[in-house]
Amino acid sequence: MSTSLPTLLILAFVLGAMVVSWMSTPKGPNQTLIRTAVLLTLGVCYLMWTVTYLAQVHPLERK
Amino acid sequence: MGDEYPTLFRSEGMSLIQLIVPREVAHDTIAELGELGDVQFKDLNPDVNPFQRSFVGEIRRIDEMARRVRYFTAQIEKEKDLIPIRPLYDSVPLVTVGPRAAQTIDELDTKLIEHESRLVRMNENYQVLSDRMKELVEARHVLRETAVFFDRAAGAEREIRTSFDDSSAPLLQHDDREAQFSGNAQFDLEFVAGTIERSRLPTFERVLWRVLRGNLYMNHTDIQEPFIDPQTGAETRKNVFIIFAHGDTLLAKIQKVAESMGATVYPIDSNADKRADSLREVTSRLEDLQVVLFNTGNTRRMELVTVGESLASWQDVVQKEKAIYETLNLLNYDVRRKTLIAEGWCPTRDITAIQVALRHATDESGTSVSPILRELPTKKTPPTFHRTNKFTEGFQTIMDSYGIASYQEVNPGLFAVITFPFLFAVMFGDVGHGLILFTAAIFMILRERQLAKADLGEIFGTFFFGRYIILLMGAFSVYTGLIYNDIFSKSLHLFRSGWDFPVAHSNETVVAVSNGHTYLFGLDPAWREAENQIIFTNSYKMKMSIVLGVIHMTFALCLQVPNHIRFNRRSDIWTNFVPSMLFLQCIFGYLVLCILYKWTVNWENATTVPPSLLNMLISMFLSPGTIDPDSQLYPGQGTVQVILLLIAMGCVPVLLIAKPYLQYQGMKKTQSQGYIGLHGDDTVGPPTDDQLEGEEEANGRVITEEDEDHEHHDFGEVVIHQIIHTIEFCLGCISHTASYLRLWALSLAHAQLSEVLWDMTIANVLGMSGIVGIVALVVIGVMWFTLTVFILCIMEGLSAFLHALRLHWVEANSKHYEAGGYQFVPLSFARLNEEAA
Repeated sequence: MSTSLPTLLILAFVLGAMVVSWMSTPKGPNQTLIRTAVLLTLGVCYLMWTVTYLAQVHPLERK
Repeated sequence: MGDEYPTLFRSEGMSLIQLIVPREVAHDTIAELGELGDVQFKDLNPDVNPFQRSFVGEIRRIDEMARRVRYFTAQIEKEKDLIPIRPLYDSVPLVTVGPRAAQTIDELDTKLIEHESRLVRMNENYQVLSDRMKELVEARHVLRETAVFFDRAAGAEREIRTSFDDSSAPLLQHDDREAQFSGNAQFDLEFVAGTIERSRLPTFERVLWRVLRGNLYMNHTDIQEPFIDPQTGAETRKNVFIIFAHGDTLLAKIQKVAESMGATVYPIDSNADKRADSLREVTSRLEDLQVVLFNTGNTRRMELVTVGESLASWQDVVQKEKAIYETLNLLNYDVRRKTLIAEGWCPTRDITAIQVALRHATDESGTSVSPILRELPTKKTPPTFHRTNKFTEGFQTIMDSYGIASYQEVNPGLFAVITFPFLFAVMFGDVGHGLILFTAAIFMILRERQLAKADLGEIFGTFFFGRYIILLMGAFSVYTGLIYNDIFSKSLHLFRSGWDFPVAHSNETVVAVSNGHTYLFGLDPAWREAENQIIFTNSYKMKMSIVLGVIHMTFALCLQVPNHIRFNRRSDIWTNFVPSMLFLQCIFGYLVLCILYKWTVNWENATTVPPSLLNMLISMFLSPGTIDPDSQLYPGQGTVQVILLLIAMGCVPVLLIAKPYLQYQGMKKTQSQGYIGLHGDDTVGPPTDDQLEGEEEANGRVITEEDEDHEHHDFGEVVIHQIIHTIEFCLGCISHTASYLRLWALSLAHAQLSEVLWDMTIANVLGMSGIVGIVALVVIGVMWFTLTVFILCIMEGLSAFLHALRLHWVEANSKHYEAGGYQFVPLSFARLNEEAA
């Protein structure tokens, strides 16, 4: 029984990871760069996975 | 501010500094600052002719030295065998600062003059000797060929006068013949012999025939070897000619014609002995000349080798000195007080470093008077400086190519570090190709230091400059490849598939049955074998492109807010940002939500047919409020869509009118309070800080402060600007959203190309067996890999790079980027070397 629930669970996980990484980047000249990069990476990777997952949960096409 | 680090988010804070430098320490100060690379000097003498500036004499001298160095470089390049130039990092540095600096430069100058004069002399000698050698070679040819003529003539003569011996007889008999010869006047023919270019020969013959009315006998032969001009390398082919004629007038005419046609006449004796002697002489002179030429060549080469040892360091010194004196020319030279005043921009963080450098320069030069640094308050816009490291440099450069950020504006380069490789990867998604890119980048990065020193050429140099971009592009492509489940056009079967295929009997088409699982990560591998794969992936990729596009544009739009806050235009948040955001979200944000919602509904169990989202969007505009209940997405859709449409339509006039209206109100307020412009200009407003400061402070002002061009609060202009902005934004929303469909198009093209390549090469070969099969597999495999790298990675990669860049430059930057700044270009000797290389 495939549902869209996993996307929400993973979303919560990703948001948690974002908060953790925000708080745990070391201070230094690259702090903003690392934060931006990690948050953006988590964000876009999650987006792409979610869209792909959702597209296949209730498939509209039949093979 | 001391604890905070500068970030790439916006430009670093820059200050205008003023340096007061005593004349004795000026050269060394600028040299030190050039090594530091942190100050951009302003031109304090903008009206002065370059020929009237203070340090013109020194620059002229340095230019002469630079010319000599260039001459040496050209001479070294012309040598056939490679002459090694010792690279800069290997050379002993010449010290050009400090008390002995002037002496060092003088010595360098004399040395350069010496080398140059020696080289010039050697080249001249070489040229003269080469010319002489050419003449001698021609003379030798003439002697040889005329010997042939005379032999033939003597042979023919012998047939006529058989009682005489032939001319190849030993000397004694030859003398007899000589006496007899002169006795027979009718056979005493005089002649002119020489060489002429082959192309001129027919003309020569014809002219002679006409001039002498046929009273001549001419014979000519080709010289086999062409003559090569040592300077230009051009080949000329020549012929030897000999013209027999009788009488002084005729001979004189022949000489004149020969001269005019560019032939060279050689004195040849009719006596065979004397000819043999001349031949011997010519040959021996030729040999001598060759030896001399060889020696001259060698000496020249030795000279160039000596030059090559120090050439790089000379180039470096000359470059630096020229830069220093050009910078000194920008300063204000107060001759009476023997000081120079410099103004320039520098990052505020680095002021202490600059002060340390100044003190260092004073110590080096051995004087006791130190330059003074002062920070000046100013209203001018500083240059934009983003402090990048070797990782962020590439990304910042590609975003700067669109335009330099305004001072203190949000820098899109920071976000491009991730969004650019990601959008590239969406168009390039293939694990195998991504790995190829990734390994190529790793290779370049691991050998960074060596490759940075080498001269890489333009194409490979550009790839090397972007090695970190390629690294991230490869990494993200591996990720998107896993999502698209595409590795060299094959699928990975990592998790449980969501489809079961029933057993197929012969060639019938089977319909797979969904088994209730969703493939955990990425596209189900079952789609790879399906006939309607493309229908599914098209729908999926198109919708994903729209989702990613709208989110990217929303993100870019939000970057406006920090700009409005920093530049003190908070009202713009309400007049520009909020209406734009509402417009975008009410139409396209709604579309994205519908896409996502439609995917979460199980349409098998639903009461309605799954509606086409495109038709839904179109009918939202064309017939708002009316929803066919059979094809509705959710109940209440009609009302919701009408509300959204009204909000979006309402935002357009707000966007158009709100900001000009507020400005108009502001203007009316100041006007009504009775202020008039103090300086007779049309702009009405409270007196600016600039004017007040000018009244209060008499000193400590910037020297070359012109009237800053204030933003004309011309009402008409603001209205026009706002109209353009509104139209651009609203139309742009639609066209840019559609433009993101290129993410789908390119990824489809890439996947298809990859599949075609596999099907046409390796797929044909895998079935073959035996030794033939193995050989064929290897050969085709190599071909497949080469084509993969060149077509799929390089060509497709460049294409996806370009499109990803376009998406950033047009779709994203138009939402927030002002790009009105100018780049911070400090005086930096390191950069001079880069530019020259």
